[in-house]
Amino acid sequence: MPEQKKRVKLYSLSTCPTCKKVKKLLDDLNVKYELIEVDLLDSGEQWLTTKEVKKYNPQATYPTVVIEEIITEYNEDAIKKALEIQ
Amino acid sequence: MTVEKLYEILKKYAESQGIELNKDKEYVLEILNGLLTNEKRYGYRSCPCRLASGDKEKDRDIICPCAYRDEDIKDYGSCYCGLYVSKEWNEEKIKHIKVPERRPLEKLGG
Repeated sequence: MPEQKKRVKLYSLSTCPTCKKVKKLLDDLNVKYELIEVDLLDSGEQWLTTKEVKKYNPQATYPTVVIEEIITEYNEDAIKKALEIQ
Repeated sequence: MTVEKLYEILKKYAESQGIELNKDKEYVLEILNGLLTNEKRYGYRSCPCRLASGDKEKDRDIICPCAYRDEDIKDYGSCYCGLYVSKEWNEEKIKHIKVPERRPLEKLGG
């Protein structure tokens, strides 16, 4: 299997059925992802993580899936491709 | 309280309100497990599809059935979590969409 180029994060609640469906989909697709079960964090971490989620999704609803492309060089084609610019 | 017992109670409760539980029982049981988890964790059954603060006063609007349920069922045929639905929603006479979060932003922590 080719190396996964995108970084995937799933902000989830351990009690939420839709979050479980997303988890299952990512697992079935063999996607590597960072799972953050926000309701299981302690209150300080929960506060910080909610701030982080709000940057992507101001309503901080769950599930929130973030798929990021990481580019670490000057590569016009790669940047345009990531931004879906022709 | 077992999840099956809670299912029986809430099914009757929904009917008494002129609504229904989502016909996908497996999905409903997952929500009910979430409600029971939250009851153990916080002392009240807050919505398993939302992040509770653990402060009952702050979470009052998201204790199931939440303060937004009736409006969501009126507008979308389903509550935010998809537990309580209208008869028409269960009969698929209403399109099933993701119910937008109606809870005001200022009620969120962080």
